[in-house]
Amino acid sequence: MAKVLTTCIYCGCGCGLYLISDRMKLIGAYPSQNHPVSKGCLCVKGWNSYEFVNNLQRLKKPLIKKNGKLQTVTWDKAIDRVARKFKEINKKHGPDALGFLSSAKTTNEENYLAMKLARAVFKTNNVDHCARLCHASTVAGLTAAFGSGAMTNSIEEFENAEVILVTGSDTTEQHPLIGSRIINAIDKGTTLIVIDPRKIELAKHAAIYAQPRFGADVAWINGMMNVIISEGLDAKEYIRERTEGYEELKELVKDYSLEYVEKIAGIPKDKLIDAARIYARAKKAMIVYTMGITQHTTGVDNVKSLANLAMLTGHVGFESTGVNPLRGQNNVQGACDVGALPDVYSGYQPVTNASIRKKFESAWGVKNLPDKAGLTVTEIIKSAGEGKIRGLYIIGENPVLSDPDSNQVRACLEKIEFLVVQDIFLSETAEYADVVLPAASYAEKDGTFTNTERRVQRIRKVINPPGQARADWQIICEVAERCGYKGMNYSRPSEIMDEIASVTPMYAGISYDRLEPFGLQWPCSTKEHPGTKFLHKDRFSKGKGTFSPRPYIPPNELPDEEYNFILSTGRTYWHWHTGTMTRRTSTLDREVPTAYVEIHPNDAQGLGIKKDDMLRVSSRRGRIELKARITEKSQEGSVFIPFHFKEAAANVLTNPAIDPIAKIPEYKVCAVKIEKL
Amino acid sequence: MKSALINKSDIRLLLKEASREWNIYAPLEVQGGDVNFCCLPKENIKEALNRVTLDDKWIPVPPKDLFFPQLESLFEIKKNKIEETVEYSKKLLFGIKACDYQGILFSDEFFKRTFQDNYYLSRTKDRLVIIKSCLTPPRQNACFCTSAKTGPFLDKDFDIQLVDIGEAYLVEIGSKRGEDFILKYKRFFKLCSNSEVDKALTVKEKAVDSIELKIDFSRAVELMKGKEPPEEIYKKIAQRCIHCGGCIYVCPTCTCFNVFDDKENEAMIRYRNWDTCVFEGFTREASGFNPRETKWLRASRRYEHKLWYDYKTTGKSGCVGCGRCLTSCPVELGMSKFIQEITA
Ligand code: SF4
Ligand code: SF4
Repeated sequence: MAKVLTTCIYCGCGCGLYLISDRMKLIGAYPSQNHPVSKGCLCVKGWNSYEFVNNLQRLKKPLIKKNGKLQTVTWDKAIDRVARKFKEINKKHGPDALGFLSSAKTTNEENYLAMKLARAVFKTNNVDHCARLCHASTVAGLTAAFGSGAMTNSIEEFENAEVILVTGSDTTEQHPLIGSRIINAIDKGTTLIVIDPRKIELAKHAAIYAQPRFGADVAWINGMMNVIISEGLDAKEYIRERTEGYEELKELVKDYSLEYVEKIAGIPKDKLIDAARIYARAKKAMIVYTMGITQHTTGVDNVKSLANLAMLTGHVGFESTGVNPLRGQNNVQGACDVGALPDVYSGYQPVTNASIRKKFESAWGVKNLPDKAGLTVTEIIKSAGEGKIRGLYIIGENPVLSDPDSNQVRACLEKIEFLVVQDIFLSETAEYADVVLPAASYAEKDGTFTNTERRVQRIRKVINPPGQARADWQIICEVAERCGYKGMNYSRPSEIMDEIASVTPMYAGISYDRLEPFGLQWPCSTKEHPGTKFLHKDRFSKGKGTFSPRPYIPPNELPDEEYNFILSTGRTYWHWHTGTMTRRTSTLDREVPTAYVEIHPNDAQGLGIKKDDMLRVSSRRGRIELKARITEKSQEGSVFIPFHFKEAAANVLTNPAIDPIAKIPEYKVCAVKIEKL
Repeated sequence: MKSALINKSDIRLLLKEASREWNIYAPLEVQGGDVNFCCLPKENIKEALNRVTLDDKWIPVPPKDLFFPQLESLFEIKKNKIEETVEYSKKLLFGIKACDYQGILFSDEFFKRTFQDNYYLSRTKDRLVIIKSCLTPPRQNACFCTSAKTGPFLDKDFDIQLVDIGEAYLVEIGSKRGEDFILKYKRFFKLCSNSEVDKALTVKEKAVDSIELKIDFSRAVELMKGKEPPEEIYKKIAQRCIHCGGCIYVCPTCTCFNVFDDKENEAMIRYRNWDTCVFEGFTREASGFNPRETKWLRASRRYEHKLWYDYKTTGKSGCVGCGRCLTSCPVELGMSKFIQEITA
């Protein structure tokens, strides 16, 4: 029996846990007592993070589609096929006919290699990953405001905040070990403000809970700022010394009177005033937000508005004081950091900057790296449908279930000339693949993940992968080599990290020997640098913080007479994304075995719906059938559907309308109708 | 009671020697600094011996997993043949704490009370336990063995118990098996004098005094036996609880499990794994009806079971006072807090 310290595969909290193995199987997962996030605790997913690894349905051999059927082949044949087809498409149609979807579930090293494969080997910037669908708005919005798109504080700082403002985050469900810290902080005197259209669990613990309408975030944030400025609660000295653009902000928020905000957002005046005063007067105040803010056509506006609010009150750049987008996936922070994005290399270094390109050209031993930003996830899928993307390489993502408007996604994948899917299970997306490559899980390889507080930490190989499955980094290197590229020869992941450090200033001080036992928080610029607990101390990463006043714009699709309910989508505590792992975990699957739709008791009564009745939910794009769950968590006039379930995929319904800057889809608002079956 | 003496410096030599005959499980410092019960390897034992930790360190998960792992395969079907997986080996549990040993004894009883659970019992068949009693609580304000009457040391029902008296351990021999072990490895043990026995007595008194958390266990049981504690207490717990299952996973006496199959083509494995009563699926009936539908009803089940049902059926509490439910709870709930609340 071995007990190996590693990092949880599920959420961005990044808990430390020990995987327990017996011969070649995992037989358990225990929390690490000393780890700064887990501290002897885990959520239910962490405690059950071992089971899916053993599952008999794991992919064990490479597959190639022949006569419409996937058939087992040797690695040699599979890699050869991938290399040949990609080279052929590249030659015939140019590099931008290729696309690469990397994965926030794989390691930093693997994401770095995926973007290196796209850029150095195939000369395209068409590389992206699912951050597009969760925090693209954060990266764009906070970079514009502060110069860095990450959580400004550390997880341990929650406990010492005077005020915590949670909005658009169901923290106890989605970041359980941050949610629990917020609950514990309240015992020690923290005041909690929750402003969320869904009556989430934390609302029960809040001193103030306000329930805005869906998609009205910019309005209430502007309203709050209006109160703060008119009551003189703004941090004048801080604004003068550390920010720019204040006058424009002041001008804009004037229009957001309490009455106007109440009309748009539905938040009663007194509540908004109380919330504004409590937040502004606190010495240490932290904002927490996630997808409820980002997954809108106004996602970037929402994020910028929160940044405005924090700067207006001087609430960024100190301990227990800041703006904290909680990253969803275990390694979505890292996948962004190491450049699995169409417009930047690792460390957010823009592909449009000639001297940066030069640096990468010489590091990678190549010439003519592409100088225009590539396509995003949403655009890659769409272009595939239009025949512009002909070769697509998907690593550990399942767009058929995770991207908006599933039927359209399926149609696009049908059209692709050549699709490679690299994964641990045969996902819904893999069914469309021409070649399927079996990958190792997180327990079967070495590497690093970067959690939501920017902590770069190790994962470790505990057992061998099943059958012939190989680690993603090994597969990528083989493809590169078969394409004739000589610059991807690594004997172990630590060497890849050394390369990342050499070209990425914010990771420059990171190497495996320094990551013992519990990692380092970036920025970490030299081998002596101790890592950074909170960002923007004394000055913003970009120098002065920039206010970007944003007006309120309604969501793209609002209810009308026919489609008279708002649909919001998200996750449950028990499952992860498209369910490939959690639906193969007995405890989690038993808890929520199938799809459901949450509806408010009053709406249910009006429609004569009882618990567990089967409903048909339809939007302009499709329809699904699923069970009713009656709960006050849903706002009247709205329903909520988790997106994990292929038998009733929420994304059949969602609206692919995107934020113009971040290109993130509006998963949080679309119009649906409901019928009882 | 018979006693002997062993020098601290001889402990590792003893373990090395005994490892030829036994699979030895001992508290080992692992990567990241946690202390966990691990099996000493047969090869390269020296490195592992250096990590054996007999100070009063906190051990986050009790050694119940040696007999009842978090996940175990019960049988496999391969090519239409069934292969049962039953583990047996000679096990020496070295350096276990008194409270944890009580937990193991409690679970032993459970697994043979009605149904003889061979998967569990086979693992316990040849087992020798050497307790190392705590001098100070590994976690002040979490440990409450003196209230639960399970520690920090035992008077009876053990094989061997070590009491730290400075340079050496006083070795108390509590069973025939324990005596046989000492005889077999007698070259590591010495005779002890009365003064050392007296010294151990003082050490034990001090150990008892060092535990600050005191809770009124017997009153709690009386209360639970009579009328139910007010719903509000459970509702408050339910509102905080994030149903992680941690408190139950780490409880030395929680032994509920779920059984499930993993199938693909011709192959099948039947597993069982740790289960907990905070999950809704735990009590959901096939019809969909759930007698413990709400979170507070499930919370009450746990406390009723530990503090009342266990007494009724076994005369013992299902809580051994180890304090782990509190320390593994992300929102700081635990048995001691519950008892404090109902007896306040
Ligand atoms: S809180 Fe997140 S990282 Fe921690 S155990 Fe749960 S899923 Fe894993
Ligand atoms: S450890 Fe705490 S949060 Fe987890 S199930 Fe137990 S009481 Fe609930």
